[in-house]
Amino acid sequence: MNPASLNNWLPSADELHLFSPELILVGTIVAVLVAPLLVGRRPAVPALIAVLGCFVGLVATWAVSTQIADGPQAGMVPPAAGATPMLLADRFSVFYKLLLFLALGLITWLWLIGAQKRNGTNSASERGATEFFVLLLTSALGMMLMVSSFNLLVLIIAIETASLPSYALVASDKRSRLGAEAALKYVMFGATASAIMIYGVSLLYGRFGTLDLSVIASTLDARYAELRSTVATSAPVTHVAVTDAVFWLGLAALGVGITFKIAAVPMHYWCPDVFQGAPIEVTTWLSVASKAAGVGLLLRIVSVFTVTGPWPPPNLPPAAAGHTYAMTVAVLVGVLAAVTCTVGNLAALRQENVKRILAYSSIAHAGYMMMAAAIIVAPSAAGGASAATYNTGMAAVIAYLFVYLLMNVGAFGATALVVWQTGTDHLSTFTGLGRRAPWVALPLAVCLFSLVGLPPLGGFTAKWYLLLALGKTAATQPWLWILVVVAVINTAISLYYYVRIIRQMYLTDDAALPAFRPPGGGVALVSACAIILLLLGTLWFGPLGRRAQALASDIYARPPAAQAELSHRM
Amino acid sequence: MEHGNLLNWLIFLPTIAAVLCLIVPSNRTVKLIAVLATGLTLLLSLGLFQHFAWWGTAAGDVFGAGYGQKLYEVTKLTWITLGEGARAPKIEYFVGADGLSFPLILLTTVVTFLACLASWNIEHWKINKGIRGYFCLFLLLETGMLGVFCSLDFFLFYIFWEVMLLPMYFLIGVWGGPRKEYAAIKFFIYTLVGSVLMLIVLLAFYFYAPVGLRTFSLIELANNAAIQDAFKAATFLGFRFAPLMFVLLFIGFAIKVPVFPFHTWLPDAHVEAPTPISMILAGILLKMGAYGLLRISYPILPTAGMWASYALGLLGLVNIIYGALCAMAQTDFKRLVAYSSISHMGYVLLGIAIMTPAGLQGAMFQVIAHGISSPMCFFLVGVIYDRAHHREINRFGGLWLSMPVYGSLATLGFFASLGLPGLCGFIGEFWVLVATFSAQAVWPWMTWAKPFAVIAATGVILTAGYILWMIQRVYLGPQREEYKGFPEASAREIAILAPFAALALLLGILPDQSLFRFMNGALNQIAELFK
Repeated sequence: MNPASLNNWLPSADELHLFSPELILVGTIVAVLVAPLLVGRRPAVPALIAVLGCFVGLVATWAVSTQIADGPQAGMVPPAAGATPMLLADRFSVFYKLLLFLALGLITWLWLIGAQKRNGTNSASERGATEFFVLLLTSALGMMLMVSSFNLLVLIIAIETASLPSYALVASDKRSRLGAEAALKYVMFGATASAIMIYGVSLLYGRFGTLDLSVIASTLDARYAELRSTVATSAPVTHVAVTDAVFWLGLAALGVGITFKIAAVPMHYWCPDVFQGAPIEVTTWLSVASKAAGVGLLLRIVSVFTVTGPWPPPNLPPAAAGHTYAMTVAVLVGVLAAVTCTVGNLAALRQENVKRILAYSSIAHAGYMMMAAAIIVAPSAAGGASAATYNTGMAAVIAYLFVYLLMNVGAFGATALVVWQTGTDHLSTFTGLGRRAPWVALPLAVCLFSLVGLPPLGGFTAKWYLLLALGKTAATQPWLWILVVVAVINTAISLYYYVRIIRQMYLTDDAALPAFRPPGGGVALVSACAIILLLLGTLWFGPLGRRAQALASDIYARPPAAQAELSHRM
Repeated sequence: MEHGNLLNWLIFLPTIAAVLCLIVPSNRTVKLIAVLATGLTLLLSLGLFQHFAWWGTAAGDVFGAGYGQKLYEVTKLTWITLGEGARAPKIEYFVGADGLSFPLILLTTVVTFLACLASWNIEHWKINKGIRGYFCLFLLLETGMLGVFCSLDFFLFYIFWEVMLLPMYFLIGVWGGPRKEYAAIKFFIYTLVGSVLMLIVLLAFYFYAPVGLRTFSLIELANNAAIQDAFKAATFLGFRFAPLMFVLLFIGFAIKVPVFPFHTWLPDAHVEAPTPISMILAGILLKMGAYGLLRISYPILPTAGMWASYALGLLGLVNIIYGALCAMAQTDFKRLVAYSSISHMGYVLLGIAIMTPAGLQGAMFQVIAHGISSPMCFFLVGVIYDRAHHREINRFGGLWLSMPVYGSLATLGFFASLGLPGLCGFIGEFWVLVATFSAQAVWPWMTWAKPFAVIAATGVILTAGYILWMIQRVYLGPQREEYKGFPEASAREIAILAPFAALALLLGILPDQSLFRFMNGALNQIAELFK
């Protein structure tokens, strides 16, 4: 190996700059690890470093966003013929990095309040501060990588990087039996899902000879075109399906890993147990960040298989369009989405534990977000020829995730304040909360109503943009109206269990239960979430949609090189 | 279109007052703010008369040349732009009043003000905590209700429709009777199911309009021929578009009206809700269903209205007869009034279903008449409940003797509900019956209209039956020992009952001058759309 080619393996400064948020996160992890050696094991230190790291990371992400203003960029291309990039940076990944840094900051805030609250009663969690933050930041790193690659190998590493620390985080309260049980369940499920996923990846590699998803998609495109041209010469095409067992099996196995990450049916069983057993900061983190990253990954993967341009493709008879692999993927995702949100909502109806209710609610919300992945016609003009095109489904999910982050942090944060005070997370612990701690109850009620999706709150805004995206694509694919119907009926179902919590807070009371003073920082956190949700439902309704559309434009779909490559490979 | 800010003040004045309620120190001030705010809203809403009083002017000058051509106090602001470019579709803050919404806006402000007065004695209720919260939610409720009647943008209509739900849930759930939790959640879920179906229609109306014409404006959707043609031709998941959308909307509105078999939330909610909230429920919330049909379903989907007319007429009949029979069987005073509401709203549905100008007029008159008589009846029930602490009809007797003034007003109120000539209830029911009987003159295919009118007329007999029987058991007969010491209605109670009584008389004696001429122009324009 000569030095020149060795040089090519080293990423350039520009490339490194593109991935500076991840690098800063790595630096923060190292700093958290090293800090105890220098200043001793003080619990506030890792938290402080984490907050600092988040802040620098946010700035770096902003810098990246200016760097990619002209278009998406890809990096880390190995020096080989036909090699594809290992990592990408586009607006979608920038959004994810911002979201994850924001979530990290909020979780750290919550953890600090919790640490204060538990002071003296459970010093174990304080001694574990360093470990907690190392694990938290590492899983965040994995999640960032999950949405910034098309390379299956990188994806697997990213998913494992995100998952392994999460397993340990769930068990981070070493005295909790439930926590240990939850972690064990999580590991078992996670390991199985990973194994199946890796098997699927190996099948895909064996079938296509590449690890790059975009190349696989292009190969399929070409294969499809070839099939069509051979059949369509004489008779009109009515039925050309890509029947490729290895591809479908590989994709399904990959799907197992993704549905596990976002806790979608049929891989959702771990979710309520883990959410219940884990410390509440970790539950919040899993419900927001882990799910967000999983949905992002799903959208990424679906987006490479989607069709660019109008639907049905102009050179394809409409009857045949229904049998394309893109359509099949979309329908499968759509069915899974519908089942997921229905199962989540129905199962939540009879839960008595607030964390479990919120766990099932997060399954349901994963279902809503997955609906956006069923939109297969990728770019959609915002109106007029000159206007920017954006990916309708991705825009909907971006808006949804941002709102979902606030709703869930608010709901879990308020729950945490109550749980830390009363020591139990049963529904009955919320009795009379409207009297006992009005400034926890009110923001919690706002967050819960927002989770239902009632106007004028952010939850409605998010759902509205999702339904709008579905309706827009339904002009060409009427079956998406079914998803609209499923989504709105689920909204009505979900009302019942969210309102159960509200009912417990406001409609029931027990004079024996004393009022309590929640920590000011906690009240500030949940109130901030509630106020922003209110603004998102009213004044920021339009701006949220516009921001989301801006972030969903210029998505790195397929490298032009990969497509050119194909023509001679087939 | 005449621009103006009056409606904005009407809608948001209660919101401002609600915020004030949160910050002022004492409970008494909170009550004062609430009464002043609702009173001020009422006074402001009277300002709408300047546009609709048309003695001396022709109807055309007031109502314009066609549906939605002449709107008053319009504010049209872009709220949310969907997409980019000057011609991109917009969601607008679009409010305005026409002959259809004008009487309902007025009814809302009147009933809300009087209900607010009825809440004045909240300290003496069984559940008298959280006075601040009560009035805050009460005022937010008024914002929601006025918003629904003023919105001319479907999206905005939907938002206000939902905004109304939350305060109502808490008002029933926190300050209600023994089964309040059940009643509150039942109300909430029923209404939400209806409104999510409306959400589907909202999206479908938008996306099924031709690209470039997409809009949420209720006026535009009804008037634009291209959109109308697209709706007539389209299919939705294999069903014909217009009928399916009509059914979805109808379920949403039928839950509110309420129409059999979606009515079961109503007796529960009414019985458990505190008196002022029952007044608002019966006086205003039920009217939203009818308003929705007249504002959204019929103007936008007239063909589907024809398609469904028989079914809707039949449901109206069922409501009339079934509601009356149920009312007759009740022993709980409040439940009786609640079922009588179901029965009376049946006339509204029947009047709308026949789709003639006279039918719509009768239906709207019945809406307003019932909006006056039913809150009055609920308050009348509330007055004796405050004294007797029970509502068993059979345990009362001879109340007129101990409370002569109250007894007279009560008789007047219940007679108005019964439909005695000279009072408001008569005109509405009579108008609907006559219109139904003669509907074939307009729609020759409506062969079922005459029999329906005959059957509906028997409802009047049933109504007379249960109301007279109730009056006899409660107010007449020998004075009972336990009710001898009942104090006469207080000045506040009379002050609440008197305006209702005056309005019931006014509408009954001068129906044209007091109501028909303010709305007939607009209703005739809607009927024009059916041709």
